[in-house]
Amino acid sequence: MPKRVGLEYINNPQFTNIDAMENLIEQLVTVTINGKEIKAPPSLSTIQALWYAGYPRVQSVGCLEGVCGSCRILVRRAESTEVTMALGCQTLLEEGMEVNFLVFPTPTHHTYNLEEIPNSWEVQTEFHRIFPEAVNCRSCNGCNKSCPKDIQVKEGVALASKGKFQEAGELFVECVMCNFCMTACPEYISPNHVGLFSRRVTAYFHTRPSNLINRLEVMRKGELKIEIDQD
Amino acid sequence: MEELNQVLLRKEVRVGADLDVWLEHGGGEGLKAALQDPTAIIPQIKEAGLRGLGGSGFPTYKKWEFVAGNHGEEKYLICNGNEDEPGTFKDCILLEETPHQVIEGAVIAALATGINQIVFYINPDQEASIASMREAVEQWKASELNQAVTKAIGEEMGYRVMASSGHYIGGEETAAIESVEGKFPFPRGRPPFPAESGVHGKPTLVNNIETLSNVSHILRNGAEWYRNLGIDDTYGTKIYCLSGDVLYPGAYELPMGTRLADLIETYGGGMLQGKFLKAVFTGGPSNTILTPKHLDVHLDFDSVAERRSALGTGAMIVVSEGTGIVKRVTEYVNFFAASSCGQCPPCKTGTYYISLLLSKIDTGQGSRADLDSLINLCKILPNSGRCHLINGAVKVLDSSLYHFMDEYKQAIK
Amino acid sequence: MSITYQEALNNYQPLERREPAVETLSTEELLQQYHPDHYKDAATTLQVGPNRGDQCHHQLADMLQADARIDEADLAGARTRQTDVLVIGGGGAGCAAALVAAKAGARVTLATKLRLGDSNTVMAEGGIQASVEKDDTPQAHYQDTLKAGHFHADKELVASMASDAPEVIRWLIQQGMQFDLDKFGDIMLRRAGGTTADRIAYYRDYTGLEMMRVLRESVKNSNIEVLDYSPAVELMSNQSGRCAGAVISNLKECTFELIKANAVIIATGGIGRMHLNDFPTSNHFGATGDGLVLAYRLGAKMLDLDSFQYHPTGLAHPHHLAGSLITEGIRSAGTYLLNSEGNRFVDELKTRDHVSSAILKECTEGRGIQVGDQATGVWLDTPGLELRNPGLIAQKFPKLVQLGKKCDIDLTTTPLLVYPTLHYQNGGVQIDKNGLSTVPGLYCVGEVSGGIHGRNRIMGNALLDIICFGRRAGAHAAECNRRPGHKKISIEHLSSLRRNLTMAKMPMEQKGPMLFPECAKFEDDSDYDGLHKNRNRKISTT
Repeated sequence: MPKRVGLEYINNPQFTNIDAMENLIEQLVTVTINGKEIKAPPSLSTIQALWYAGYPRVQSVGCLEGVCGSCRILVRRAESTEVTMALGCQTLLEEGMEVNFLVFPTPTHHTYNLEEIPNSWEVQTEFHRIFPEAVNCRSCNGCNKSCPKDIQVKEGVALASKGKFQEAGELFVECVMCNFCMTACPEYISPNHVGLFSRRVTAYFHTRPSNLINRLEVMRKGELKIEIDQD
Repeated sequence: MEELNQVLLRKEVRVGADLDVWLEHGGGEGLKAALQDPTAIIPQIKEAGLRGLGGSGFPTYKKWEFVAGNHGEEKYLICNGNEDEPGTFKDCILLEETPHQVIEGAVIAALATGINQIVFYINPDQEASIASMREAVEQWKASELNQAVTKAIGEEMGYRVMASSGHYIGGEETAAIESVEGKFPFPRGRPPFPAESGVHGKPTLVNNIETLSNVSHILRNGAEWYRNLGIDDTYGTKIYCLSGDVLYPGAYELPMGTRLADLIETYGGGMLQGKFLKAVFTGGPSNTILTPKHLDVHLDFDSVAERRSALGTGAMIVVSEGTGIVKRVTEYVNFFAASSCGQCPPCKTGTYYISLLLSKIDTGQGSRADLDSLINLCKILPNSGRCHLINGAVKVLDSSLYHFMDEYKQAIK
Repeated sequence: MSITYQEALNNYQPLERREPAVETLSTEELLQQYHPDHYKDAATTLQVGPNRGDQCHHQLADMLQADARIDEADLAGARTRQTDVLVIGGGGAGCAAALVAAKAGARVTLATKLRLGDSNTVMAEGGIQASVEKDDTPQAHYQDTLKAGHFHADKELVASMASDAPEVIRWLIQQGMQFDLDKFGDIMLRRAGGTTADRIAYYRDYTGLEMMRVLRESVKNSNIEVLDYSPAVELMSNQSGRCAGAVISNLKECTFELIKANAVIIATGGIGRMHLNDFPTSNHFGATGDGLVLAYRLGAKMLDLDSFQYHPTGLAHPHHLAGSLITEGIRSAGTYLLNSEGNRFVDELKTRDHVSSAILKECTEGRGIQVGDQATGVWLDTPGLELRNPGLIAQKFPKLVQLGKKCDIDLTTTPLLVYPTLHYQNGGVQIDKNGLSTVPGLYCVGEVSGGIHGRNRIMGNALLDIICFGRRAGAHAAECNRRPGHKKISIEHLSSLRRNLTMAKMPMEQKGPMLFPECAKFEDDSDYDGLHKNRNRKISTT
């Protein structure tokens, strides 16, 4: 079994010594990242590959486990004209792969304040006022094809437009707000924010857990105070 | 100067929606010649060397042969007047001022290829063009010539004037087909090719307005006459849309292969305020840039291609010294970014990021890394979409990086 | 000698029942012998600053006693902003503080090193503690927290947190955060290691992600001014030593900016990316302990700087994902830990320091499982859980299932190899119940603060801590600091820092705060030359 260099060597300062690393390597692949040709082991992610090769990389790095959405990349694989969107920390190297890191996009133009929605009867009206473009979806599927989490974005937008906010929100459970769908949308719908709005109004208007409410009520009456034992 | 506007934009043919005047000045002659032997049309077009003047430069007869070879109860011709690219404004003139020239060319094309449904597909912003074409089509339907056509093909020819969606992408062949079917103009994948399966799955021909406008004249005056219009070994004329920093911008119909310098100096009246020429964006912005060292280039498909640029629609946007190239390219890429239809994410997202990075650099916020990213995107993105929109955006960027790298470098921090 | 991964995998059999562990050492003995805090030479004595003479991890000590990144000269012509409350840090604590302060009417500026929301919060999986069940009480929450922290925590802080907890959950719901609910709409709860009741509210195993995206959206839709890519490099103070703002480096324009404020709230998180004792970490790229350094220099007193949490279940194999966190939720759902002999060796629901030390003991004593030359670990027996509770993993742990897919491992049939990963800084800046440090005008909330968890934190108290004290500090800072602007603001304190360092004969080569992990090569990145101009650039030798 070939030995490979892994994250722990990148993570552990003692292993950032290149000589030590090279003893562990038997096979390398050649990739191009931001125009720089890099030879690195295929078990590294694109971000690790840059570090491995000694190139600085400060922006577009975050949690390194695929939940923060900051390391957005375009990938073109060898012998293919297809270009895909992915998260850099989740994409392992392949021979001949070309990668371009993307700076963070301009924020969405949609703004809203949950407290300004008078009650749950008004949510749908408010939704269409806040996201007037949502009904213009032309079903190009760009959002679905762009999503690194395989969320059914388009369907989520359609559900929200119909006032089915809880169902819409359920589709966005895994959304990390990477904004790929936002830049992919030709109608400027900001689908990820539609998803998050759907989730937020669901909690704001409909999460009413009786166990929590009970506990708050008991505490409001001054019960269940904590006694600090002074010893 | 006598070479100016000798065919399509002659004073005598710019008569608007008036069939009688059109016929008085020789209109209808081409169609009559065509009706005598429809099978002779395609060979004549081939002999004339007519090419697609909407930007492709593809030999017209070949397209027609494909469609003629496919059979269907209905066959469609889409006369493409979606024209939306910055700097291009020739089709709207032809549609508004010479509607019968367009109709006659379309009918001859239909006769040659066995088409029985003609759709005039026009940019909705060109209200005058649409009005003029509607009126002209009504006149045409009631004409004796149309009866002769009905007799020749054994059924009523269908005519429809429709406003396109107004999306730039709607000018793409397969997107136009989607539009005619009443859908959003998403370009389709190929195959099948429109010649086999286009509108409602029927064989479909899509030709540019300028291309079709030439047809009646070729049938009337012969292929030889058409070939001799061009300079050297090019054929026919081309309507050049000259705009930007020249004294007399406008649409000039000139022999195909007119030199860039002549277009700017002789017809454009030279540079505005005597400034130096910096660059010319050819064919609208979706092609590469020409610079002062290219002033001697003959403006025909092949000569421009030899300079690693493209003639495109014939638009020539002239830019003088003192104009920021980065700013210009940013504007053009913004146009593509806004026009990308969304179905190919690398195109939509790619143009979005090119536009974002260019804006950053143009406003002095860009870094070396941003410039490197632009250079890299030019390598990664080509051919990643179904249609050529992404390639157009990359081409103008790549070309500007090639010719004006210094300016980009000065603009970054 | 440990056996190899392949060998162990061949030996492994999923079993529904396994005998509980028989532990021979007491927790105290186990920690003394195996916990990384007690490694020989791990700690050193601080030579300068408010904690002079105290024990501190030597890597952290180097940073606390480092030279500043800037001089007066760097500030010439720097842009100046004025605000009421400056929040440094864009994670859960920073957002909560900013939202509450803004709601109370203060002008709020939030400066964050990377983007808003880039933080450990977004990665938290397990959940958030709150005594909500009817047989549970805030008192029990308080006592469990104290006990797990080996009775080392500040009792007033723990009491504040435990009694705030139900209200914190309500506040989060009002921001639009969802929790897993049962069929009656009640909040579902699970149990954390080392506690006496089911007290953890959660949303799948995405609790942190759900919390962070909601708070981020809330901040972005408020009038809070957000400065992203703007790490703070120094605090400023007025003549009486009151904190009066900060110097930030704007990474987008490569310039320094001064932000004058009536109050500063530091919410910069922890230190995982310092890779203490060369451990892998579960932490975010930005977790470099910047706030500790800033606060220490301005004279804020620290607590427990030698105490860190190593989460028992970091992924050990495959290599490229090593260090990734596996939620404690999976153990509270009943998953066992097994050594190479297939035996349980610890009560999996004991506190994190106990379980981690037990894993390190197994590996040291040859009952670990070896991959290649480098990685060792023990089994996390998810197939056993699947046998006892079919379908539970797929239903409740979607993020873990995703991780399994990336490892090419089916969790329902194959166990995962795990090893402790550097997870949390137990200590930090000493604060009162309003998050106020010992420096007037300077608040510290979230992981950067100390005293809340003692010497060991229980699952679910981190998400609670950040929101609880974030809100308290936001409210207090907005309320108590309606005062006219300071007359004279400076970075004078750096002169005394440098004097003290010189007198203590400390090396001055290292500059702090760290800002980015070494592998990011921030110091060598030509993009940021503008921020390096007044320093001799360190030549990297690796």
